[in-house]
Amino acid sequence: MPAAGRRVTGVSCADPLQGLNRAMQNQSLTQKLANPTRFMDLSGRLLPWLAWGSTSIIAAALYLAFFVAPPDYQQGHTVKIMFIHVPSAWLAMMAYALIAASSFGLLVFRHPLADVSAKAAAPIGAAFTLLALVTGSLWGKPMWGAYWVWDARLTSVLMLFFLYLGLMALRSSMEDEALAAKLTAVLALVGVVLLPIIKFSVDWWNTLHQPSTGLTSTVHTSIRTPLLVSAVGFSLLFFAMHLKGMRNEVLRRRVKALRLAEVERAQGAGGGRVAAPAE
Amino acid sequence: MDLGPHAVFIVASYLGAAAVLAALIGWLVLDGRRQARALEELEARGVRRRSRGG
Amino acid sequence: MTRKQRRGIMIGTGVGVLSVAAILVLFALRDSVVFFHTPSDVAEKKIGANQRIRLGGLVAEGSVKRGAGATVGFAVTDTLKTINVSYTGLLPDLFREGQGVVAEGKLDAAGLFVADSVLAKHDENYMPPEVAKSLKERGVTLGKSSKHPDAAAPGGGAGK
Repeated sequence: MPAAGRRVTGVSCADPLQGLNRAMQNQSLTQKLANPTRFMDLSGRLLPWLAWGSTSIIAAALYLAFFVAPPDYQQGHTVKIMFIHVPSAWLAMMAYALIAASSFGLLVFRHPLADVSAKAAAPIGAAFTLLALVTGSLWGKPMWGAYWVWDARLTSVLMLFFLYLGLMALRSSMEDEALAAKLTAVLALVGVVLLPIIKFSVDWWNTLHQPSTGLTSTVHTSIRTPLLVSAVGFSLLFFAMHLKGMRNEVLRRRVKALRLAEVERAQGAGGGRVAAPAE
Repeated sequence: MDLGPHAVFIVASYLGAAAVLAALIGWLVLDGRRQARALEELEARGVRRRSRGG
Repeated sequence: MTRKQRRGIMIGTGVGVLSVAAILVLFALRDSVVFFHTPSDVAEKKIGANQRIRLGGLVAEGSVKRGAGATVGFAVTDTLKTINVSYTGLLPDLFREGQGVVAEGKLDAAGLFVADSVLAKHDENYMPPEVAKSLKERGVTLGKSSKHPDAAAPGGGAGK
């Protein structure tokens, strides 16, 4: 019955363990991680490091933002909003890129963890998009004079937020999880056209939003350093949350499989009777 | 600390970010506990995955 | 060709075609997606009086005149063409000469732009006031270049 065992003995009759080792070494890293049990083991060890790393780096970023960073020559202290706005906006797009890559992995390679990754990243990406919109709005009011304008950048990021909500709604609207995963992956890949539009909206069209705050030289070092530290902290936090979300999803699928197995066994134990009475 | 005339917007941004992230982390932790408990209950009842139990 | 490769190529082509289509559509829509018109656009497109538009550009140096009450007059320029604007109301904090601005309103018959809302557009340069001050002392104009003034500092005059 256990197919894995039979394959191992087939590799090397004399020393099955050595054969198993060799078989594992031949696997690529993604193949190794594809095994949910090994994923749970590795992610369980990695998660505390990520969590504490992100917490301490975000604490450092807060210190830099409030006690070290100078006010901007135009915007005064309001520039501090940038330290959360810009990392949130970066992560909003990065999370979507991750969902798109995972969707590709699901549709093309049928990678067992690809859908888990895509599903776990959606609410986190939506949260960072919301943060980018809200902090941007709170930045726009005192600086531009308006909470919201319908320029190309703001509108395309709002569309990204709705796209995240759409992905989650589409998935939850279907009973059949495998079908839901595939259709959601297709929508995610269609939506990927939004990423370059958001990125280049400030260059292609004139907008009220200023051109992108890249890692270019347009930000003075004294303001860039807190921004970068904050971005690293936010990214680690994102990966910690994504890993946690993936772990939760793996557990949820195990629970579901066990419940199914329990029902099947109860029916089997009925000895051919039409239906086993519920407990 | 003097944050200038727009202190209210700065503070609101940071508090908003803290609230959104705290809600997300809280949901992740609670969801993880719920799944772990459900799994424990099932295993305590003797339900095994095929790959483990044969 | 394996099924996996075929799936990959199909999906890759699909996303590629879709992206090209989306970018073409947006390219066609380019004129209506812009948030504001520069003074040159206004002249080029012959935008007439009483047509509601957003006018964007830099506030011309030395053009701001406080009128009666809360009325302010200033000129919006894109360095090629300049349009005079009249606005009654509170100006945003970042409104200053040499900085970006977007005004919403209509041209009157005399060619004066009567705005009913003014938004400040800030650039992507961020620096502490001392740095800005020392740059100014070295003769670098702030706010007019998309390049960081630091980069153009030794030559004085930021690329324009």
